[in-house]
Amino acid sequence: MIYRIWNLTIKEFTQLFRDKLLAPLILFGPLAELLMIAWSSLQGIDHLPTAVLDLDNSSASRALVVAMENTETFDPYFVDSLDYITADVQGGRALAAWVIPRGFEAHLLDTGSSSSAIQLIVDGSDVMSAQTAVETAQGLAASYGQSLRLQTTMDSGLQTMDTPLDLSLRVWFNEEMKESNYMIPSELGFIAAAIAAMLASMVIAKERELGTLEQLMVTPIRSSELVIGKSIMAVSLGYALFLLMLAMVVIFFGVPLRGSLPLLMALSFLYMIVELGWGLMISAFAKNQMQALLITFAVIMVMIIFSGYAFPVDTMPPLMQLISNIFPLKHWLIIFRSILLKGAGIREFWPDLLAIFILGIIIYTGTIFLLRRNKLE
Amino acid sequence: MNWRRVLSVMRKEWWHITRDKTSFILLIISPVLVMVTMGYAFSIDIKDVGIGILDQDLTPLSREYLAQLSSTNALRIEAWPGSLEDVDRLMMRGEVKAVVIIPKGFGRDLQNGETADLQVIIDGSDPNTAGHAIRHISAHTEHFATQQVAESLQGTGYTGEIISPIDLRLRPWYNPSLRYTVSMIPALVGIVLSVPAMAASLALSREREWGTLEGLIATPIGKNELILGKLVPYILAGLLSVPLLMVTAVYGYNVPFKGSIGLYLLLSLIYLFATMAISLFISVFIKSQQAAIMASMMIFLFSGFFLSGLLMPFALMGPLIKMEAMLMPTTHFVIISRNVFTKGAGIMELRAYILALMAIGVIFFALTVLMFKKKL
Repeated sequence: MIYRIWNLTIKEFTQLFRDKLLAPLILFGPLAELLMIAWSSLQGIDHLPTAVLDLDNSSASRALVVAMENTETFDPYFVDSLDYITADVQGGRALAAWVIPRGFEAHLLDTGSSSSAIQLIVDGSDVMSAQTAVETAQGLAASYGQSLRLQTTMDSGLQTMDTPLDLSLRVWFNEEMKESNYMIPSELGFIAAAIAAMLASMVIAKERELGTLEQLMVTPIRSSELVIGKSIMAVSLGYALFLLMLAMVVIFFGVPLRGSLPLLMALSFLYMIVELGWGLMISAFAKNQMQALLITFAVIMVMIIFSGYAFPVDTMPPLMQLISNIFPLKHWLIIFRSILLKGAGIREFWPDLLAIFILGIIIYTGTIFLLRRNKLE
Repeated sequence: MNWRRVLSVMRKEWWHITRDKTSFILLIISPVLVMVTMGYAFSIDIKDVGIGILDQDLTPLSREYLAQLSSTNALRIEAWPGSLEDVDRLMMRGEVKAVVIIPKGFGRDLQNGETADLQVIIDGSDPNTAGHAIRHISAHTEHFATQQVAESLQGTGYTGEIISPIDLRLRPWYNPSLRYTVSMIPALVGIVLSVPAMAASLALSREREWGTLEGLIATPIGKNELILGKLVPYILAGLLSVPLLMVTAVYGYNVPFKGSIGLYLLLSLIYLFATMAISLFISVFIKSQQAAIMASMMIFLFSGFFLSGLLMPFALMGPLIKMEAMLMPTTHFVIISRNVFTKGAGIMELRAYILALMAIGVIFFALTVLMFKKKL
């Protein structure tokens, strides 16, 4: 049995290296992609070009603009009229705009009057930056308003009240709340999973398309041996890719590695085997490589939803959360991030590890079953 | 260029696509399927973040504070750890995203008019969810504090603290309630429409892998005729899914479509041409279908999803990434699609992006014809 698998593995590697472009493409292409993607998430959504129409032109309005600049979310520049704002937002040159009306300062200083209104215009067609702008502005307005009001009450000799509550916030695991420490592991996990699934989905479909699967079937090799032999090449490529990417994000992008490296390496190997199973399963029922590509593409895009990238899984509706459990990537990213950021061990994430195990067993049994049934059509 | 020859290659290629019914249906439907599922994920807002409570005070005031915390559905009290070790374990396992600790003496301090302490521990590993938790816990706490002040000042007539002095009026243009779907679904059209291009790059490398390219080379057909003939059927197949995608967006996800339908179809056609040109260019260098898939996946899927301005606005990208993004047709189409959908933009507003798409298409098509050796 070992001998038959060994021969098949040799054949796979010979075929792989016969195409001189393929192996470097699989190893270094995703690495280059991750380099750029991680680089862009390092930056995060900030310094939005912001048009400011300051009709008040007072010290209070200028102080507001400085406070706005200090949040680093807005990059303000001044315009002279509302027409410029309309043109800049429409043309996409400004992602946000502030309008500070005449009398802003006068309203602020007059404790008896109602509050002073300012307008924030955001380009809702780009909802990610719009959301960031709105949240920052709300925080800014609240704190800026509070400090000013406190000052005026003190100036006017009124007794000031301390806030009766002292809220101390402590952030764990990602102390500076760096967006990139969350995004980069997700991106890495997704890219590795996508490459592995795509690679595996091709292997059996290719044999079937070329008609060589029938030749393999008449050899004494069994379905399970075929699956194992086919996956060894993909696992070793996928695993090498994963290690390269891991080294890159830890060394160049400063993603913390707080847990044990040997544990991470062992578990990622196990995960890689399971993730490939998905691809092999698609491969076992796709008639040709075109079908395999189209199905895998759809699966990969669904996978990205559950990778926690842009959509937090914890807050999804129950049905979605239930579906998310059939994707090994979801469990893997929980483990991956726990080891990286929290320094967690098996004791903390064993339910997800168990889930990966069970999924692996189901996926591989299914693949062997499919292969046995579709042997010759 | 002999159009009759182009037509016969087209007919052969079209027959190739439609012969295998499963593949054909997948080709048209899979963009729609992907958009339906991804659109659904974008239509979910972050709500109810699970938090834990460690109440060491256990007074009526602390219970009043907890009632305030859970008064909206932004936070959901999920666990009641009994000790600090429990808090540690809960946070490690990620069962709750934040823990509020109410120390002993909270109620007493508040009643005596002294500053009461509250501790909040946040799991920062997901900054988005963490930010959501921080904002809501702070807001609830502030509200509770204001109420306490108002109660203690009752009768003195002082109300100044309760009115916020700045009234921030939000004006989200083009998307008044800032729904994610309104902005994301039009952008997703660009991502999923790269499927036909991926399929096209398979088609050319398949001829090479099977050795049927040699048969074609022996015919009198010219290089550009052959390439054009290969390209058009996939553009047509892609164009078939555009109306399906539009219907899904408008009727399935309530995304308003303000632009002109004819213009949108025309621009999708130009976009499809640009993506096809790139994928054909790749397949010139590539010998096997496997390598073709890997290369087009990197270009269309990874760059398309992460670097095309879908999540990170183009204006904010660093210079190097901007350069890469500008070469990608998806970047331009994401902007075009968003503008046509949400702003009803016309050719004049979009001319820069349309020109960029056409330039990418023509340049890569020319390069393909140039580098494609019609030899053995």
